[in-house]
Amino acid sequence: MPQLTKILAIAIMVFIPISSYSHDNEKHSLIGESKADKLDQCVEPTEVMQKKHFEFLYHQRDNTVEKGIRTKNHSLANCIDCHVSHDEKGEAIPVNAEGQFCQTCHVKTAVNIDCFTCHATVPRDSASKIKSTGYNKNIHIESAAHNLVKYYKENEYER
Amino acid sequence: MKDSARLTRREFMVKSFTAISTVYIIPDLIPKAVASKPLDAEVSAKTEWAINVDVTKCVDGCTACVDACVDENGLYGFDRPETDSQWIRKLQIKDIRTEQVTTLPMMCQHCENPPCVDVCPTGASFRREDGIVMVNQHTCIGCRYCMMACPFKARSFVHENLTEQVTSSPRGKGCVESCNLCVNRIDHGSETTACEEACMKEGHNAITFGDLANPDSRVSLAIKTKPSRRLREDLKLKQRVTYSGF
Ligand code: SF4
Ligand code: SF4
Ligand code: SF4
Repeated sequence: MPQLTKILAIAIMVFIPISSYSHDNEKHSLIGESKADKLDQCVEPTEVMQKKHFEFLYHQRDNTVEKGIRTKNHSLANCIDCHVSHDEKGEAIPVNAEGQFCQTCHVKTAVNIDCFTCHATVPRDSASKIKSTGYNKNIHIESAAHNLVKYYKENEYER
Repeated sequence: MKDSARLTRREFMVKSFTAISTVYIIPDLIPKAVASKPLDAEVSAKTEWAINVDVTKCVDGCTACVDACVDENGLYGFDRPETDSQWIRKLQIKDIRTEQVTTLPMMCQHCENPPCVDVCPTGASFRREDGIVMVNQHTCIGCRYCMMACPFKARSFVHENLTEQVTSSPRGKGCVESCNLCVNRIDHGSETTACEEACMKEGHNAITFGDLANPDSRVSLAIKTKPSRRLREDLKLKQRVTYSGF
């Protein structure tokens, strides 16, 4: 009997977290819908993301601030882009609001998130952010300044 | 799969359009600021970002550059001019001999020998390889030594909780901040800073941004065609922002 309890306990410990946090077409936040809901997995396998997302962010932030590396995979802006939920009216709900992706888990594990005292909690680009394909680098410039900047709307989630 | 196919197609269209327009459509009137780096590359000293300001073209009463900077970086204030953040401001200077009044935009001068970096106890105030002096807000402790050390009053301290930051410009209470030459835009391949763009759009063309290391860039040509000087040259800070016309 004690053995059965042990096995049961182990089974619960192993499967509950995996099933309740798995990425496979499950909703990520209690309220609203996000792009991430519809994807098979994050930029790394789900188990890796659960344990190490902060290490990725930490590494990326130093590379970005100090060395100007702007790859998208581990960038916080990209996390938010994909994990932010939208309500029925299509308005983005801040990722650190109650019941949202970041907040739900962090409340549960009692870990305070510091990111959002400075970082935007919904995709909120200044209008002039540049699409990052580098295609404007060969364009010769006309005198009108608007040709110097290529406006873009980020629609697609970049892996 | 579907996603990547769509991206490739779009890239293809954009590239072919670029190629065609380069040859046939868009005339080569203004020189480029620079060549932009790939997203995954580190910045290097091969690029030397700089700004030249022609004060004779700067118009009294115009604040286009200041407004553009506020928009670009989400620098909304609390209606408290003493403490609200300001990355660029308009100054009025008067020559005491001739009484001539000039106005000019004043932002971080991106010193090559930056005193703000010398005094920072945590290394948060730093100079990037390409010459942009900025604050790493992850490690800034808000001691404000750098604000004291800067001879140009270029830095601001955020005194209050902020909520409406833009994605491209994270900022928050307890950190010092200053003009970073629109680092996010530039790293994503922009040819121009927000203030230069605004000044051009107004038709004033007082601000010229570009890569000093490239002799054909806009700023190199601007400096070549007219005398320019640094403010307080006696301090030997070797600023990357230079002024022409006074
Ligand atoms: S102008 Fe001031 S803030 Fe900018 S690099 Fe020079 S000392 Fe530092
Ligand atoms: S306020 Fe921040 S950036 Fe300035 S000297 Fe202190 S720690 Fe360095
Ligand atoms: S370069 Fe960018 S951050 Fe600096 S003053 Fe101009 S608009 Fe502001």
